[in-house]
Amino acid sequence: MAIIDVRHFAKSFSGKAIHKDVTFTVEEGECVGLVGGSGIGKSVVLRSLIGLEKSDSGEIWIDGQEISKLSERDLVEVRKKVAYVFQNGALFDSMSVYDNLAYPLREHTPLKEAQIRERIREQLDEFGLIEAIDKLPAQLSGGMQKRVGLARAMMIGPKVILYDEPTAGLDPYNTIKIQELVLRLKKKGVTSVFVTHDMPTALNVCDRFCLLANGRVMDEATVEEVKLNKGGKIEQFIAGEVGG
Amino acid sequence: MKSSRTEFLKTFGGFAILTKQVAVEMMRPPLYPRLVIDQMYQVGLQSLPLVFVTAGATGMVMALQFGLGLEKFGGKLYIPKIVSLSIVREMAPVFCSLMLAARVGAGITSEIGSMTVTQQIDAIRALGTSPIKKIVIPRVLACVIAIPLLTTAANFVGILGGLLVGKNDLGLDPVFYVQKVLQTVTIADFLSGFAKTPVFAFVIAINACYFGLTAKGGTQGVGNATTKSVVTSSITILVGDYFLSKFFWIFEQWL
Repeated sequence: MAIIDVRHFAKSFSGKAIHKDVTFTVEEGECVGLVGGSGIGKSVVLRSLIGLEKSDSGEIWIDGQEISKLSERDLVEVRKKVAYVFQNGALFDSMSVYDNLAYPLREHTPLKEAQIRERIREQLDEFGLIEAIDKLPAQLSGGMQKRVGLARAMMIGPKVILYDEPTAGLDPYNTIKIQELVLRLKKKGVTSVFVTHDMPTALNVCDRFCLLANGRVMDEATVEEVKLNKGGKIEQFIAGEVGG
Repeated sequence: MKSSRTEFLKTFGGFAILTKQVAVEMMRPPLYPRLVIDQMYQVGLQSLPLVFVTAGATGMVMALQFGLGLEKFGGKLYIPKIVSLSIVREMAPVFCSLMLAARVGAGITSEIGSMTVTQQIDAIRALGTSPIKKIVIPRVLACVIAIPLLTTAANFVGILGGLLVGKNDLGLDPVFYVQKVLQTVTIADFLSGFAKTPVFAFVIAINACYFGLTAKGGTQGVGNATTKSVVTSSITILVGDYFLSKFFWIFEQWL
């Protein structure tokens, strides 16, 4: 059964229809890349999967629950299962890395502060960020901020992670670091939706692609199909032969 | 014209919705008293110097102007009465609120606005928490508690400012000044000024939070939101002061 099931999703802003009929599914443990031209609304779809945007019509099913009409209060349980990695990390800039990572634990778990500290040290160790534990976000590089954002998103063990351009603007070293982390989480069975323009990374981490264009999913293809030149429009998009 | 009317209605509706959300969320756990205390430090203690300077200068200028004007008619002895009543009933609540709309309101809007445009508010939501609870309610409560207390302090400082000028420039006896103030200012006078301040405080906090949460378009958007917050709060305080004064005036007549 699909852990994410988007059916006929439509969304407009100021009367302009961005999405008219977006339909796709993501199976448990799968990593799906949402690709498409700039400004096509990939992030809007991603934000809708966690209720940060409300759809005009259509249904969004997450782990068997229809979430598109849920209130902010009811979305809390969904947001414990689905984590969102923001493009620029979106770390709380008045808090240290430690407090950023402690935030979801303090809110959603009964852990004592000593246990929280232990969990954070383990997480930062795994993400290669232990030296940043007491730093403020402003003292970190862009790549480190994104990795801390990913570490924070993982703190309460979500089933699904939504990545919004996780490698945008990063140097090759940090891009590879992010790729490694995404692949490591994938091995643990975490389901992912990956919005990106960084096609080499997408080809490394995704199992399947959905091409968004003209307000709908225009084409779908697995990574194997793309690599075997059977990717149709997606292959053309990756090759830069067509826009979104 | 139509777009500005739409914008006004949208903003007004936004305030109403935010106010409702604050009222509803305040009734539901969890509450964050620690965040309220942190904000009270920011809003209250850190604003004390500004409030003291504003109130002190207002009291001194009023004593000086009335002193110069009334001296010609031999009315210098009325200065303690006039200064204390004006300060307690009107000047301290309104001037303090205006200064705090600028200092506290601008601070809140720019802080929340920056969080909005850098997706930190979205991150609060994505992490399964409520920006209303974590951001708005602590600031609203801090303002509603701290601003009336600051105004009370401003009453004393303003009257003291008048005393300083009365003694040094107008030759009034300090003991006479204090006696006259105590004879003149009643609890009703104090309350008619004091009771306005929670309303002003709520206006400052809700405006500031609303404009911060709806900031768009990067740093320029944050700047615009901050300007709108201060202007809207200031106008609301000045216009609202008339209606609140009239309300308390009718209330006092009725009593």
